[in-house]
Parts: sequence; structure tokens; C-alpha cells
Amino acid sequence: MKQFLTAVLLLSAPAAATAQEGPAPCTASAPASLPANLSGWAHPVAVTAARDTAGAGRVTLLPGRGAAVTLSPTPRVDYPVRPEHPGGTVSRGGVLSFDVTSPGDYRIASSSSAWIEVARGGKTIPSTAHGHGPACSGIMKMVDFKLVLGRYLLEVAGNGQPTISLMVVRMP
Amino acid sequence: MTRAAPNIVLLVGIVLLACAAATRPDWHWRLPPGWTPPPVPADNPMSATKIALGRRLFYNADLSIDGSMACATCHEQHHGFSDGNATHSGVHGEPGRRNVPALANVAWMPSLTWGDPRVRTLEAQLLIPIAGTHPVEMGMNGHEDEIAERLGTDDCYRRMFRAAFPARDGAIDMTTVADALAAFERTLISDHAPYDAWRAGDAAALSPLARRGARLFFGPAGCAECHAGPNFSDGAFHAIAPAQSHAADRGLGEITGRASDDGRFRTPGLRNVALSAPYLHDGSAPTLRDAIKAHGEVARVPENDLPALTAFLAGLTDPRFVQDTRFSLPDYACGKRL
Repeated sequence: MKQFLTAVLLLSAPAAATAQEGPAPCTASAPASLPANLSGWAHPVAVTAARDTAGAGRVTLLPGRGAAVTLSPTPRVDYPVRPEHPGGTVSRGGVLSFDVTSPGDYRIASSSSAWIEVARGGKTIPSTAHGHGPACSGIMKMVDFKLVLGRYLLEVAGNGQPTISLMVVRMP
Repeated sequence: MTRAAPNIVLLVGIVLLACAAATRPDWHWRLPPGWTPPPVPADNPMSATKIALGRRLFYNADLSIDGSMACATCHEQHHGFSDGNATHSGVHGEPGRRNVPALANVAWMPSLTWGDPRVRTLEAQLLIPIAGTHPVEMGMNGHEDEIAERLGTDDCYRRMFRAAFPARDGAIDMTTVADALAAFERTLISDHAPYDAWRAGDAAALSPLARRGARLFFGPAGCAECHAGPNFSDGAFHAIAPAQSHAADRGLGEITGRASDDGRFRTPGLRNVALSAPYLHDGSAPTLRDAIKAHGEVARVPENDLPALTAFLAGLTDPRFVQDTRFSLPDYACGKRL
């Protein structure tokens, strides 16, 4: 329960802000038991992020299902919208897509502090909150967005490692 | 004329030349009446080309070991060049130690960290986040040469360094990187808050509640005794609460070794303070109310005065500063879109 409360203690965020949070402290020897809406995090599918908008349409994340995402060197990524924090040349990034079939609040969970942007129609969507994941869950940060029906692009920028775990979560 | 006079004349001449060299003709400070230009090291004069280079570097995450962190990662413009976290993790997830300081008018600060009065120039301070180890932030300790290698592969950066540092043949190294970043940060001037308009004579610029807060701030609440001057900091190190034994962060005592300095931290400036929550050296105060109440050792503010004081502090927010495109992520360099 305490871990779940940690998960939902998100901070309100000003427009476009997806500020990083430090990881929740982990003192347990076993992985956290995740709340139901994050349970898909534990069984990720492997995908390779695209390097541009066209490719992103072929790499679709399913809400509620985790993904182990392989990224590309940042200089090889052509972002549809330039990320607010672009990442250095030695970092990794990529573009994916996901579909919103019911409007509402969505959460992007990430295993690292990489910069997360959700874009549509050539513009980024302002985030509504940010925070960190449950202790020992492997979720470093979570960013919330209010989304309407349609397809969205998920931009990942400035990741320090070649891979990242991501999950799109429909919030109740 | 005594024999010493020619030497004095020579000395004065050298000083004047050094001051003149600190500001090149292509850079002019635009400051409100009554403000004097900040100190600028004679060996790092301001120039437009250097500032443009520093701005680009400020947003470049290649200054961190894995390319994930730029200066702007922690110093976000919409937070007054602070961020919204208590502390900020290092590049590998190392726990952060202290709250990210805001950068408005940082050029005038006599020292540049929460607890170390020895760090007196931006050029010196910049190396702490880039290559420091207590804590690790950008993680470049022992890898400083990689920055030059990364930047040197970019033709535009090479041109920008040549333009900014002609006397150093456009050298790309930690010295020129720090000099350019420092020059840019000296331009982060916030002087268009409602408070500034109020000071200039526009009584309506602050609400009646904020004006009451101003009277408290500069009067009985005693805030201005430390939060003094145009940037609301006396630059000195104070304890606002009794030092805790075995505290993880001794503050100034960590530098001096004196127990009497434990718990003393440099007075932070307050410009744009409403945008930079949470507060205090460890980010332990989530709101301005909490931060004011944490000053119990030096200023006991009655509960019913808190709304006025927080209204006054909100009047230090400079909307133009946090939206000024001269300070934001550059879209162009060398005539090309980035």
C-alpha cells in the first residue's frame, strides 16, 4: 500500500514540464509488487524505437503493456518535434506511437530519467504531473498527460543507455 | 611628484585597462537605473559571440558523461533556472545532495554554492556540477577531455569557439567551455518583476496584500536583514535553525571545520522564488509558507502575516525573464536550424 501511495504521489507540473525525479529509495531485497494498473511493467515486450515519424507509426505501444525499448544514437534520430531537452550526441533516443481509444488521463512510466515528450500534429502535449515510481519497481519516473482520442507520438530523448523500459498507462 | 607617483599612475592604468578588457565593445550591459554592472573576470571579458556559445553549451547534454544531462536539465527556465525537485539525481542516479539554486542575477552573487564561500566565480563553480564527485552530477570527472572531443566533431562548434576565443585560437577545452558558460549565465538578468515596477514608483504593481508583505519583509519580519539588496541576498552564511548533531550536511562547517559553522548556508536570492519550490538547501520546504516557517531561529513570523509575505514574494516573479528567448534553448547556430 505504501508503495502504491508513492506511485500516485505525483507533483503537479507546469506546461510542458516533465522534470526529472530521483528514484524512490529501494531498501527491499525483492522487487516491489506493483499496483494493478502497472502490472504490465513486469512482462515487457521487446521493441526497437523508430528514428522518425514515419517509422514510429510501425512501433506502437499498447497501453497497459510494458516495453523493453532499444534506442538509437541521438544524432540518427529525426524527432517530429525537437525535444525540450534534446540529449547529447552520445545519448540515445527514439520515437514510438500509441493510440488513445478512450479520452482521459494517461501516464508514461519510464525506467530512466530520459526526457519524455508526447506529441501530436507537430506540437508537444503539456504534461499535467510528474513523479517517481514505486520503490524497487524499476520505474524511475512517471509523467502524466491528459489526452483525447487519436494517435500520439512518444519521443524519448537523452537516454544514457541503449535501452529503456516504457509503459503507457490509462489512469482510472 | 614623489617617486612613487609614476608607479601609482601605471598601476591605475593597468587596472583601468583590465576593467575595459572585461567588457568588449560588442557587449553592453542594459541595467535598470541604480544597478552597477556585475564583476567580470578580466581574463574572461563579455562578448556577444561568447554568450551565444555559452547559451548553446548550457543546453548541451554532451557536457555529461552519457549525454543525458545538460546544465539546463536542472536549471530550467520556467522554474527561474532552478527545478521542481528537492534535489536532483546525478547522471547515474546518484542521490542529489542540495536543492538546485536559481540563476537569476547570479552574476552579482559574491559566492556561488550553498556552503562554500571559496567558490567566487562562475568559471570555478561550473566545474562542480560537470566534474564534481560530492555528489556526482554530470559525471565528467576524469573524462573532461571527452567534452572537447565531442564538441570538436561539430564544425559549427569549432567556428563558434574560434569566434568566441580568437586570442586562444578557438581552443576547445574545459577553460573555454567554462568561460563561455559563465559569460552566458552573467546575462541571466531578472529585473522586470512587479516588485521592480513598484520600486520604480508604480504603486499598483503590487497588490495591497503584497504591499503589506513588503512592509513586513523590509520591516518587522526582519527578512531583509539577510535577504538584502536588489537580489535579496547578503551573500553571507546563516543558520536559520539550530544545527543538528550528525547532520548529513554541515553546510559552511564542512568547509571551515568549525562546529560553530555547522548548519550555516548562504542566503539564497529570492528573485522568481515562487517558481522554484521546493525550498531550503535540502529542498525540505515544499512551499513558501513552509520555507518562511522554517526560519524560526531567526524570524518568527505570525501565522496571519504569512499570506502577505508570500504575496510579496510572488511579486518577485519576472514573467519576461522566464520567457525570454535570449535565454532559451537555441533553435539556430551558424545560420542553420538545430
